[in-house]
Amino acid sequence: MSVYSAFARSAFHSQLAYRNEVWANIFGKLVQVIARVAIWQAAYAGVGATVVGGVSLQQMVTYALLGGAVMGATRPERIINEIGRSLKTGDVAVWLLKPIFYPLYIFANECGSFGYRLMTQVIPTVAVTAMFYGMLPPASLFDGAMFIVFWMLSVILLSLMSMFCGLIAFWLMTSFSLDWVLGALLQLFSGLLVPFWFFPEPLATIARHLPFAWVVYYPNAVYLGRLSAADTWFHLGLGLGWAGLFLLGVLWLWRSASTRITVQGG
Amino acid sequence: MLLHHLRVIPLLVRMHIRSQMEYRGAFWLDRLAQILSYGSVFATIGILLARFDTLGGWSWPELALLYSFQLLAYSLGAAMSFTQLRDLEELVRLGTYDALLVKPFSPWVYLIFSGLNIGYAGHIILAVPLLGWAVFSVDFAWSVPSALFLVAALFSATLLTAALITMIGATALIWVRSNHLFSIFFGFWELMRYPLNIFPGSIQITLLTAVPLALTSSVPVAALLGKPVPILGDWAGPAALAAGPVWVLIAMVYWRYATGKYQGAGG
Repeated sequence: MSVYSAFARSAFHSQLAYRNEVWANIFGKLVQVIARVAIWQAAYAGVGATVVGGVSLQQMVTYALLGGAVMGATRPERIINEIGRSLKTGDVAVWLLKPIFYPLYIFANECGSFGYRLMTQVIPTVAVTAMFYGMLPPASLFDGAMFIVFWMLSVILLSLMSMFCGLIAFWLMTSFSLDWVLGALLQLFSGLLVPFWFFPEPLATIARHLPFAWVVYYPNAVYLGRLSAADTWFHLGLGLGWAGLFLLGVLWLWRSASTRITVQGG
Repeated sequence: MLLHHLRVIPLLVRMHIRSQMEYRGAFWLDRLAQILSYGSVFATIGILLARFDTLGGWSWPELALLYSFQLLAYSLGAAMSFTQLRDLEELVRLGTYDALLVKPFSPWVYLIFSGLNIGYAGHIILAVPLLGWAVFSVDFAWSVPSALFLVAALFSATLLTAALITMIGATALIWVRSNHLFSIFFGFWELMRYPLNIFPGSIQITLLTAVPLALTSSVPVAALLGKPVPILGDWAGPAALAAGPVWVLIAMVYWRYATGKYQGAGG
């Protein structure tokens, strides 16, 4: 296990090496979050209300801060591109020779990058924007604690989804389209910009049952106290079920992919 | 020299297009994925508008015009610049950019035309019909001058996009690494799917000056539809038309400056 934690540490330090990029990333993240808040302020101002559908503007501002800064710390394109690059260069064959499980290495690498983004983007962005916009605290201690659990589940689920898409590249021989398709599904069905309580039916019902909902929507809904305690436990169970399914999918794809590797040249 | 360049450019473009089309299935699959991705962004804005009717005083067809204009101007400008200038960082890092400097050919022209990206076809396939639908759906009395303004503003926005990307790429000649600046560029670019007037004053000023991406979409479209434009006011129309040519000149000067500073990083 210490091998994988070394990979995570290495990913963390390699990203810290370029200070210009650290500042650029903080600046980029801040702009993105301020913009999301501005969109909700403009939407509520347009209807001339501070509460729409039982959701206050302050709750939506908090949703935007959580969605933009906290839940945006996992980068699926990094995982998919890393698998795609290893496939293209043939590096993936080298991983088979090492006493290392490749999907776990990818996850360890992502954990290191996640730690980097948490420290350099999430915490500064939340601190600055919360100061300006007044971010709401969790609805209760239980919701706050469960939000952390749902957040961890979101990171694991998104990493598994990304690995699943990345491994499909072994058959398609391109990871580019997989990255864009996953991005499209997350954009629409994770609740990243618009939460499902503003979706028209039956689209809202469909979206609530898709795995992407556990990436942004459910963690944020739990934080804001929009789920009862029973519903929170029930949806945690469903989310773990989705994570289990994707884990099985990743294991099956990696096993099938390992037998397909053809090394050309070298 | 100019004649020599004009003769070689079509050969460079043809060679690159052939290489991009080698795997046609993968090429069109990638385009389909991009159409899905930008389509889902458009659908998200649609869901927001279905619930809230307007955003910053803009209706759904007006936002569709803004979104399609932005996507089209970006794809035309980026086809002429993005992947080529993004890859410049790697050329500098590995030292392969030195090989371009000794060619009897402008390095910028070589980079651009040997890497002309027809991959933006997906963006254009989505943006053109959407722009057509929005043009007929907005509550606006079209005239010949307004139609000409739309076309000229699109051309100016294309030039501005290519100029900004060229400047970011050229920074690699000075700093070696410049691709992180693209994340700032795209961060601001995503904002320009929405009207400029909804953002705080500091972001409005940034989007009109240091990172003038407002001039590639929300300013020209707002000027066309007669919407109020913060800071620029009645100057919004002329500013949108002048922005492209002016920033191309600035980018040319910056490219020369960056080339003068280039020392080589590769071994």
